[in-house]
Amino acid sequence: MRAALVIALKDLRQRLRDRTAIIVAVVAPFGLAAIFSTLIGGATQPIELAYAYADLDRSELSTALRDGPLAGIEEAGIASVAETDSAASAREAVDIGEVDAALIVPEGFGAAVTAGQGAELEIIGSTDAGFSTDILRSIAESFTTDVRGVQLAVALATHAGGETSPEALAQLAREAAAADAPITLADLEAETRQMSTTTYFAASMAIFFLFFTAQFGVLSLLTERRQGTLPRLVAAPIRPWAIVAGKAIGSFALGIVAMAVLVLASSFLLGARWGDPIGVAALVLAAVTAAMGITALITTLARTEEQAGGWNSIVAVTLAILGGAFFDLSQGPEILSQVSLITPHAWFLTGLDSLGPASASVVDVLVPVTALVGIGLVTGAIGLVRAGGLVVRR
Amino acid sequence: MATDRAGSPPVLACADLRKSFGDRLAVDGVGFTIGPSETYGLLGPNGAGKTTTISMICGLLVRDGGTVHVDGAPLDVNAVAAKGAVGFVPQDLAIYPELTARENLRFFGQLYGLGGAELRARMDEVLEIIGLSDRADERTDGFSGGMKRRLNIGIGLLNRPKLLVLDEPTVGVDPQSRNAILASVEQLGEQGMAILYTTHYMEEAERLCDRVGIIDNGQIKAEGTRRELVSRIGQRDRVDLAASGPLPTAAEALRAVPGVEEATAHEGGIGLLVGEARTILPRLLEVATAAGATVNGVEIVEPDLEAVFLHLTGRALRD
Repeated sequence: MRAALVIALKDLRQRLRDRTAIIVAVVAPFGLAAIFSTLIGGATQPIELAYAYADLDRSELSTALRDGPLAGIEEAGIASVAETDSAASAREAVDIGEVDAALIVPEGFGAAVTAGQGAELEIIGSTDAGFSTDILRSIAESFTTDVRGVQLAVALATHAGGETSPEALAQLAREAAAADAPITLADLEAETRQMSTTTYFAASMAIFFLFFTAQFGVLSLLTERRQGTLPRLVAAPIRPWAIVAGKAIGSFALGIVAMAVLVLASSFLLGARWGDPIGVAALVLAAVTAAMGITALITTLARTEEQAGGWNSIVAVTLAILGGAFFDLSQGPEILSQVSLITPHAWFLTGLDSLGPASASVVDVLVPVTALVGIGLVTGAIGLVRAGGLVVRR
Repeated sequence: MATDRAGSPPVLACADLRKSFGDRLAVDGVGFTIGPSETYGLLGPNGAGKTTTISMICGLLVRDGGTVHVDGAPLDVNAVAAKGAVGFVPQDLAIYPELTARENLRFFGQLYGLGGAELRARMDEVLEIIGLSDRADERTDGFSGGMKRRLNIGIGLLNRPKLLVLDEPTVGVDPQSRNAILASVEQLGEQGMAILYTTHYMEEAERLCDRVGIIDNGQIKAEGTRRELVSRIGQRDRVDLAASGPLPTAAEALRAVPGVEEATAHEGGIGLLVGEARTILPRLLEVATAAGATVNGVEIVEPDLEAVFLHLTGRALRD
């Protein structure tokens, strides 16, 4: 074991002095994640709207509108709602771009509704924010639809000859206002548990490049054979398996370090949210195992470093595509999602997805971790046995 | 356990080594011993089986048959203890270019179980031996070819081996570095190390080796000291006397000297074929002078291993 560690440390020292290895392990994945999340992330960033609300009515209904649907979208983090004291100030806020749109409840709105008369809400939208205005309009329309339902119920009660007190009518109006919020976007993110764009690209680039980092261990056996140092290792008073073990340990350690640096860097510099640290650590360890196993197997099938490098690149790109490291598989045919399960990438990203909710823990990634370790052990066992054949010539 | 001719147990004893690669028989029944302080040369052309033989001796290659004992212990690919008695200097430059000379030495020293102060002291000693003390902390990718070769040899010395195996250490080396390497090997032999030296350079084998095994087509064709090998093929030394005076008379007189097989006068001198030139030379000079000839110069041409190899295989070493 001591000899294996000595070889692993030597390999790590060599890699750290090789700038190419550092670029492949850390710089490239981090850089690409940053670029992709900046370019593509803009289109999928969470909606952040700003509205002004001018309540000139000060009725129970207008208060219910403020405390109901408008408060709902604020709590969901979809929009901020700033109250103004006049229609003019609301309009000014829209004009200067302080808010995307404004909702004005005119004086007498509540009384008109209670009396069953026509009443209207005013919406002022910025020409540059049609989408935001549409959302505010749909909130208002939904609210007025509910109010009309109450009006209809009141009218029916009145026509039926029943006595309806002003207090009862006000209660009906409050019930209408307290109805379910018309906007359900607030729950959408929690239901689909999707990673943020930044986290997705940080994770997908990390595991994509991990396949280039993890291959170096067994690949270096071919390098040592070419440069003549392998016979000298075999001639040393150590077991041949110690050489293979040393290569595997070095490769594993470099993979872990590279992934850890990427997780930390993307968290602090890009704002990625990886989730529960223990769950992430388990996924990283499992992913490195899988990447090592696959690359060890591929490398030992090759005769030269160049051949091994080429084959590993093809496999890395193919698995990344199939595994959803370059695009969201949910946007493709269902069969793609099924096929992706043969790839470590899909299991890794699925595992991270499971860590999305704040309450998620390592328990939620047991299946992905098991799948990754399984892939790694099966392919790695074959690869390392074959690597032993590279060490001892027969 | 077998003993060598001096009665000491051999440092290396290998017997009936066999190795095939597919249908090709690379090594066919090779066996020899090396005693303490002895330098043994495996002399043969490229492809003769030298590297395959030492690969089996050093445990790099699984052999098809035969035995290897180093310092009395059997050696194969898994023989950790026996491997510790061997220092191996491969033909290729087996050093890491990204590491410094000291880091290379430290790494291999650790693999041989050295550590701490012992390793540091041994590294300093080896750096001194190979003349790289002042460049010890430089990366080896900036070294000249000769410096790399010296470091390559130095790594093989780290563990104070009982048997040092050098596989064609001067291939591709400039003459100056080559001389330095040969001098180092001579020095190591004088210090008592048993050395197995493979080469296809006849001059190196003649200069360094106490005994030589001539190998071709995977078989040891002949083995012995240079003199033994030469005498085995019946060749004699040639002596050219640069002389003036009655040369035919002098040649006639020289033919009567015991050990002289042939003496022929020619323009400017006399040519002779003799058994042991260096032994008989004073008598030759005495007889030639007595016959009235004036000897101005002497050239002795001893038969070499090249001639032996040619005689044994029918082709030259560099064919």
